[in-house]
Order: sequence, then C-alpha cells, then structure tokens
Amino acid sequence: MQADNFVTAVQRHSARSRWRRTAILIVVAIIFLIGFVALILGGVALARFSDSSTPHYENIVEHFKYGSIGSEPESGLPYWLWQALPKLYPEEFKGRDDYKAFGFLYEEDEDGSQRDLPIGVSQRRVSGVDLVWLNCAVCHTGTVRMTEDEAPTIIPAMPSNNLDLMRFIEVVLDAGPDPRLAPDNLFPILDDMGAELDWIDRLVWRLIVMPQVREGMLDQRAKLGELLEAQSDWGPGRVDTFNPYKLLEFGKDFDDLDDDEIHGAADFPSIYYQGPRDGMQLHWDGNNPSLQERNLSAAIGAGVTEETVDHESIERVADWLLDLKPPANPNSEDPEVLTAGRDIYMDRCVACHGYRGDDGGYVFAGETLGKVTPIGEIATDPGRLNSYTEELSVLQRRLFEDDPDYAFENFRKTGGYANMPLDGLWLRAPYLHNGAVPTLHDLLMPEADRPGAFVRGLDLFDVEQGGFVAPGCTPGESVEAGFCYDTDAPGNSNAGHLYGTDLSAEQKSALLAYLKTF
Amino acid sequence: MSEDVIFQPLDWPNLKVKNRIFRSSISGRFDNEDGGVTQTRINWENKFARGGVGAIISSYVPVLMEGRIIAGYATIHDDRLIEDWGKLAEAVHLHDCRYIMQLSHSGRQMDIPGVYNQQRPALSSTSNKESLHGFLCKAMTARDIDTTIRAFAQGARRAREAGIDGVELHASHGYLITQFLSSGINDRKDAYGGSLQNRARFLLDIIGAIRAEVGDGYHLQVKLSGIDHNNVIPWEGKGNTLDEGIEVAKWCEAAGADAIHASIGSLFPHPLMPPGGFDFETIASTYDAMISSGVDTLRNYLLFRYPLLRPIFKWIWFRMKKHYPVEGVAAEVAHAFKRNVKIPVICTGGFQDAALVRRLINDGWLDGVTITRALVANNDLPQQWRAGRDNPDRPCTFCNKCLLNAPKNPMGCYELERFGGDWDRMVQELMSIYETKPDLQIPDRAAA
Repeated sequence: MQADNFVTAVQRHSARSRWRRTAILIVVAIIFLIGFVALILGGVALARFSDSSTPHYENIVEHFKYGSIGSEPESGLPYWLWQALPKLYPEEFKGRDDYKAFGFLYEEDEDGSQRDLPIGVSQRRVSGVDLVWLNCAVCHTGTVRMTEDEAPTIIPAMPSNNLDLMRFIEVVLDAGPDPRLAPDNLFPILDDMGAELDWIDRLVWRLIVMPQVREGMLDQRAKLGELLEAQSDWGPGRVDTFNPYKLLEFGKDFDDLDDDEIHGAADFPSIYYQGPRDGMQLHWDGNNPSLQERNLSAAIGAGVTEETVDHESIERVADWLLDLKPPANPNSEDPEVLTAGRDIYMDRCVACHGYRGDDGGYVFAGETLGKVTPIGEIATDPGRLNSYTEELSVLQRRLFEDDPDYAFENFRKTGGYANMPLDGLWLRAPYLHNGAVPTLHDLLMPEADRPGAFVRGLDLFDVEQGGFVAPGCTPGESVEAGFCYDTDAPGNSNAGHLYGTDLSAEQKSALLAYLKTF
Repeated sequence: MSEDVIFQPLDWPNLKVKNRIFRSSISGRFDNEDGGVTQTRINWENKFARGGVGAIISSYVPVLMEGRIIAGYATIHDDRLIEDWGKLAEAVHLHDCRYIMQLSHSGRQMDIPGVYNQQRPALSSTSNKESLHGFLCKAMTARDIDTTIRAFAQGARRAREAGIDGVELHASHGYLITQFLSSGINDRKDAYGGSLQNRARFLLDIIGAIRAEVGDGYHLQVKLSGIDHNNVIPWEGKGNTLDEGIEVAKWCEAAGADAIHASIGSLFPHPLMPPGGFDFETIASTYDAMISSGVDTLRNYLLFRYPLLRPIFKWIWFRMKKHYPVEGVAAEVAHAFKRNVKIPVICTGGFQDAALVRRLINDGWLDGVTITRALVANNDLPQQWRAGRDNPDRPCTFCNKCLLNAPKNPMGCYELERFGGDWDRMVQELMSIYETKPDLQIPDRAAA
C-alpha cells in the first residue's frame, strides 16, 4: 500500500481535490460577497427608494390647500429643486427665496415663519424622492383686502386672482436646457439650503433624478413652447385649460390646432357650493354637467394622470365643496336702493343668474340658470369656446375607459357660454369668462365705455364699482403691481354680455348696489 | 405441539427450525479488531436463543477484512476463526436454536473502516462515492471480483466447518452484492454491469461458487431487496423495481438457493428499513464517530446537529415512508416473492404483533419472519407469544435508537421510556452481555 502522511483515504482524497475545493470556495466566496454587497445595497435602496407616501391632513381646509391629488409623480419637481429654483434664477423670482413673484400665496406656520411651500403646492414621496407639484387650491384660492393698509385675507375656493400660471410654467420649462440646472451647480446650493444629500443621494440625483426632471422639462417645453409663444399673456388669475391638455395629454402637435382655437385663456372660476351645481352645464362653455368628470378633468389640468390620480384625495375635496358657501359679502347698501336694484335684477337678470334670497343666501333658481346661451346671443369673446373642440370631447371620452367608476362620458362641445350662478360674486372679479371687464360697474357699460386696458392681479376690494381695484394702464408699459390686461389682444375681448347696458344711470346704480351684495 | 402456526416447525431440505421466528441479523462492536469472535458476542447471541427463537441469523459477517462495515464486527475471512464461531454455534444449539451465518461484504457502504481499511477506498461495483455519507470507493477489477467470489465460498465452507447450520448471502440493503444488483448504483460496462442479468451475475456466481464448495446439502439462503428505492438522496437513480427483484429471486432459486429472505431498500439504514423513527438527538451524539469516514459526513452531521437544518433531512428521510406500514413493511415484497418461487420465503421488517405474523403465514404470504428490534427489546418475545400475549407489555417502539447508537455505543435498547425513564436500568441492561467474562489469560505465565 502506498505510504504517505495521510491517515485515511478520505484525507488523501480531500488533499487531492483541495485545489478544486479551494477554487470553488473562492468562487462561492466571491459570489457570496457580491450577493452580500448587492443585498446591502439593495436593502439600502429599498429602504430609501421604495417609500411612496404623502402627508395626510386631517383638517379638510389644510388638505385642500396642501394635500396631494396625485400630480407629483408625472408632473412634479423634486422638493429640493423646487426650493433651489429661486436661488438659481433670482431675476425671474424678483430676488425672493419663494414663489411670490408668480402670485403663489404663502401662509405662516405656528411659529410665525413662512411655510416652506405655498398654498396649492403639495408634497409626495415617490420612490424615496420628495416631489412637489400643484393641487386644486393653486388656482382656486385668492386674497382680498378691504383697505390698502390691511394684510390680504386668504380665501380658499375663490378664484385665484394672483397666480400668474403662464409665467410660472415658462420659467420652469425654460430651466430645462439651462446649464445652471447641472448637478455640479445645483449641489452646492442644495447643501447651503440644508438638503443633506449623502453620496448615495447625490449619485441618484446625478444619474436618475436630474436627468429625468430635465428630460421632462424639455419634453413639456417642446410640446408647449409654440403654443405659449403664440398666445396672449394669460396674466394673473387666468389659465388656458384645454389647449395644453390637447398637447400634453393627447399628444397633439401645435400645428394641429386651428388659429381660432389657440386663444383659450379664461379666468379661474370660484368653486363654492358645488352641490346645487350638479347637473348644470359646468365649465365656462358648459361642456360637462357631471361634477365628478369636471373635477377629474381639472385635476388632469393640474398634472395628474390616469396612473397617478389620487381619487380619494380629490373626492375628499369634492365632498367638502358640495356645501361650502362663499364668505358673506361685507358690503352694506341703502335698503331703498337695494329694493330698486332687486326689482330691476328680478326683471332682467334672474332667469339666467338666480337671485339673492331674503336671508342673504343665494338661490339657485332661474329658467336658464346653468344653461348655455349661444355665442351669437351672448357675443362675448369666442376664444375660450373655440378652444374646446369636438375632437377634444371625443378624446376626453376615452380617458379612464378601463375604469367604469371614472370613465368620462359627458363631455360635449357646446355653442356658447353657460349662465353662471352668482354666489360669491364679490370675489370673482374681473368679470366675464375671460376676466375682460374689471368691475360690475364696467359690466353694465356698453363695450365702448368699458376699460380697454386695466391692471389685474390686485386684491383691493373696490367698494364703489364692485370687484377689485383695477387702474387703467397702457399695454406694453410696465405697471407698479399686477398685470396690464389688454382687451385688444386675441382672446381678451371685453365685448358681449350687454344686458343692462341700456339702463339709465339711476337704474344701473340701483342694479349695481344689488349686485354688490352677492 | 402447539397449534399456533407461528410455532409450527419448518422442515426445509437442508434446515429444520422449531418455529417460524428468526432473529434477523444485527451486530454490535463486540468483537476483536482482527475479526475474532468474543465471549460478549456469544453472550449476545445466546440471549436470543434462550428467548426461544427458532433460528438466529448472525450479525453481518464479512468474508474479507476489506468488507467490514464497522471495525469490531466478527469476520469469517480466515480458517483460524472457525473454532470460535463453532463455540458460538454450540452455545445457540443448546437452546434447540439454529444458527445461520450472514456472509457479507460491505463494498462502499463502510461506516467505520478501522485501521485495516482506512487507508484505501472500499471496493465496489462503481467508483462513484456512496450516496448518503460520501464513502469513497473504487470499481472492482475482474480479479477483485474473482477473489471476492472465492472468499464467499470459503466463508461458507468455514461456517459449515464451524458447525453453523447454514449461510445467508446479504444481497440487500446496499452492501456489495446490492451494489452490483442495483441499476441505481452499478455503472459497469463489463459482464457484471448493464442488463439485470449482468448485474445479477456477481450474486449468481457467488451462489455457484458456494454450491461448488459446500455442495447442495448445506443450507443457503439469499437476503434480497424486492425494491431498491435508491433515490433517498433525491437526485440518485431509483434502482431496481419489484419485477426486477422477483426476477433475481427466481434466478437465485434456479442457481441453488434454499430460501429467500425478503427485504427492501438499497442502502442501510434506509427510510423504509428498518422502518420507524429517526431520533436526531441520538444521531447527533453518535454520528461524530463517522465524520472521518466519508466526504459528505460533515454535511450530514451539521444537518443532524442543528435543529434549524433538521427539516432538510426530515424531508429527505420521511418523504419515502408514506404509504408503507412500520410493521410488515416488506410483507408485500415477500408475498410477491412467494408467488414466484417455490423455495421458502421469510421476511424482515418491523414484526412484533403475533396476530399479524400469524395472518401472513396463514395467508401464504411468507413462511417465517425475521425480527431484530422487537427481540432486542424483549429477548423472550417468542415465549410471550407462546403464552398468548400477541404484543409484549413493554413493546419495542421502533424508535431506531439502537441502530443510531451503533457507531459509538454497545448494541441494545436505548428507548428510555421502556425502562421507566431510569437511565441506570437501561445501562445495566446494555451491560448484561458483558457480565460473564471470558476466561482471561496471563500471556507470559507459561514461559515464566
């Protein structure tokens, strides 16, 4: 028998195959090590980048102002980028660290300091990254001051009279190709702001977050750029709801749009007391009688998609709005004048616009209230009506097709503008769908006597004329505050709705007194 | 004479047995390192003869030193061992009990090789390592085969010269002859591999050689697994089917076997043989004695030792037990053999209930039963049966702790509950076979 140092055959066998076992062990160890590292990294990534959540606000008003409706995942900006943009583009933000330059409204937190996000901007963590974007309140919260000296009172559900959405969008989209948005430029600013990004965060921001954000900006810029260029400036308190919708949601090209449909900017509406409005022709042109579809469509305008929509959140807001009445009108008028004005109103206006009951509350009653008056008769600017096309109504009815609870079924092209209830009228200036007439007083004037250009975007209540103070201005010249609205610009006409313009000065005065109580 | 069929004698051409109860083969580390029988073994075997069995099938008795399962088991590899085996036979015969020597060769199934074998891989039909423990082996050459066949024949001759009443070829449970028979193990390309006939050639050649050596007038039986169920380790081949087992039994009969001893399984222990439990605490305390024997033994030890890993082995082991009873686990195999051969068939596997044994004999499924664990627990089981107690008062629980202690401890019953939880009583029973010391000699007295 062979003599060697091995005591057993098993030992000899093991010694002979040691190199093979060692190699296997090394391979296994390497695989294990790689697996271990992958596991650790995966665990860290999972912990960091799988968190998807949004703050919950128990208070419904807080939810309305700051709660997410699902716009952030597809349309939003990273929270820290949102905070950094004012520092990157001080010229666009008027040197401020916030978004007040665009009319965003800020509240104070409990310790009296300004909140980090304005009203109408919500936060949601998506795959571990905090994103922010718009909710309903951004377009439907405004301010009013009864005197020049007092601080603005923020009123949820009134139309936003401050927000210059078009300029905000342009600034954000123009940042896409701007080299200042490069990570190496951005990171020091984020560090100064206390973002505390560690090396993993920086890697993710460099490789994933910023490329995706900039790609999104460039994509939207490419889609919207020509439209925004071609349109009249919206100015504060206005939005073109449906043309961006066509380009972003349905992939239409700007060249596909007819010339007469591109000037669709209109005022933000108030959204009080929606319950009695159910079944009326909603939107300025009355294109849908369903509150749910109108709400969901508006949410899409704010940036939600079929995939990201937070129905529960939207329905919370919708339920709250069903019974939310506008704040009481602070005006007090001579009772005799009011009686005279009421008589005129009941004779000339009530059929289309309802009336104010004896208890001061608005009464939703009127033969044609909430119905569409043909454009030939109302004769106001047709831009907004034309912006909503038959083709768009067909495309909209394809949204949420797979979800019977939310499928759009009621969008239809109409031929005019809807007769709106007038509750909370004192907070809804300027008037007409496109906000082309600054005050109620002016609305009772014939077209030639209505202001041709006026400042909008101010919130000082005009006790005399009903609406907000809107001094005259010269288009093209800068104004101290607000925006010079030019009624000669496409889509901005102050024509039409000549009801009551034929009344005598005394009758108009009485009717104005009555209208100011709405 | 008793009317109970269990106690009807067997009157076979070359063997007469007073009843139908055989003590099946079981061993313990009682013997000398050189293969010599000790007084302890004689005491051990005598207990069963005294208890009333009709015949004892010896412990596993290697025909060559390189065929040992565990060093410390007596062998029959040399003529100098005949005399001591004769004394063992004489002791058993005093109780009108027959003694049958189980001629064996471990092949690759060598649990503890000992100093004689630890330096070389075991001989087998194959060079593939054993599946459960990873025992190393090397395929036998034609010369190895010839040597081994002749060793079996010489073993039979020595048994006859020792006064032993017959021999049994251990052609089951995964030992060398099974390693040739089983399609799950044998991968040879020569005349001893491939077809069933080729795989059976080794066994049939041994039968022929024995008959040539001892003639037709000496009892020769074959312990044969009817079914292999070789895939205990799931990726192993399934081995021989029952039809193949029956065919081999018929060939054994034709070659000159006097009886068939039916069993099951192509390795030992096997989930089905011996049937019953598998106590992890016991195996975890004894298996360390085998760690150096194989290349997969450390893996097994870890599986036995750590409770978190035990479910893996439990699944491997217990999945095969479904649909098989503990008592009479191989009875259907015996029945199949019985229908296909004319020679007597005895059967092993978990017998303890006299009523079952009685029924199987009466129904013609088998001619007698071979019992181990129930007799280890109750040496006097035949007397209890004869007294009308079909089941003993302190029955064997088929826990298999006797088997699992084998690598390290004396053979005996380790089921503590059978001793009322009294550990000392259990140890006393284990030690009983050592009580009568052999005559101790003072080596240099004669020269002094």
